[in-house]
Amino acid sequence: MERILLYVEDTAGMPAAAAWALRLAKGMSCRVFALSVINPDSPRRREAQTSDAEERAWSLLYEIEDDAFQKNVRISLLLESGEPLQKLVGISTSYDSELIVASADCRLVISELVRQSSRPVVFVK
Amino acid sequence: MAKISELLPRSAIVLNLQSKEKFEVISELVHPLVAAGAITEESEFVAAIVRRENMESTGIGLGVAIPHARTKAVSSIVLAFGRSDSGVDFSSLDGKPSHLIFLIAAPEEQKTEYIMTLARLSKLLRKDEVRIGLNKAGSPDDVVRVILQHES
Repeated sequence: MERILLYVEDTAGMPAAAAWALRLAKGMSCRVFALSVINPDSPRRREAQTSDAEERAWSLLYEIEDDAFQKNVRISLLLESGEPLQKLVGISTSYDSELIVASADCRLVISELVRQSSRPVVFVK
Repeated sequence: MAKISELLPRSAIVLNLQSKEKFEVISELVHPLVAAGAITEESEFVAAIVRRENMESTGIGLGVAIPHARTKAVSSIVLAFGRSDSGVDFSSLDGKPSHLIFLIAAPEEQKTEYIMTLARLSKLLRKDEVRIGLNKAGSPDDVVRVILQHES
């Protein structure tokens, strides 16, 4: 395996998911692509429409990047705008990632992600 | 927490980068920060930056790169900015060269401020009007003015 796509959201379970992905990447010497998606159509409009959401997304990504650097794991950061499930599935294909990792408490509809993704998905609890 | 514009000394703004290669550009941006006393151990800081660049792409796309490092070789968090007409390869995921390069140097112990500075700068540079303003800036004062206008 060469590429892991880590879906990053601001949830309580995210640190565990990120730590799991980094451990796996280190063990397998592969690269992590950490993806956060800003959804302008989110029902959580107040958050989505303020620039705070974007700043929070970047800070989560850079936190993970800093951890990756300390652990000697190669990483690339991606911030996208759009519908999160579509973006995640699309990017997993375009970056040819072999595994998607997400937190079990992510706001995606888990069954939809599993159904739409052509890649294996691991939810970390 | 200090604003981006407050962390960027005018002496560390290089509007016409001479170097074409990534590590030479980084060196060009490090020198004014060493002269200003913000970076106390140049070789240690450069080694940290090089290590990070060899592990990850700090090109964030849209013609922007943010090389960065947090080490004991830095006395206070500080930025440098360079603009390259020809562009520099920072291995951006979009495959395009970087024309606007912000270097961030932070002390080892200031992790929160470092992460927040990276996040705020990345957010700022995704705005079209900021990148257009920085590309048009004719002086270091113009650069600071563009950032001041758009940072919240």
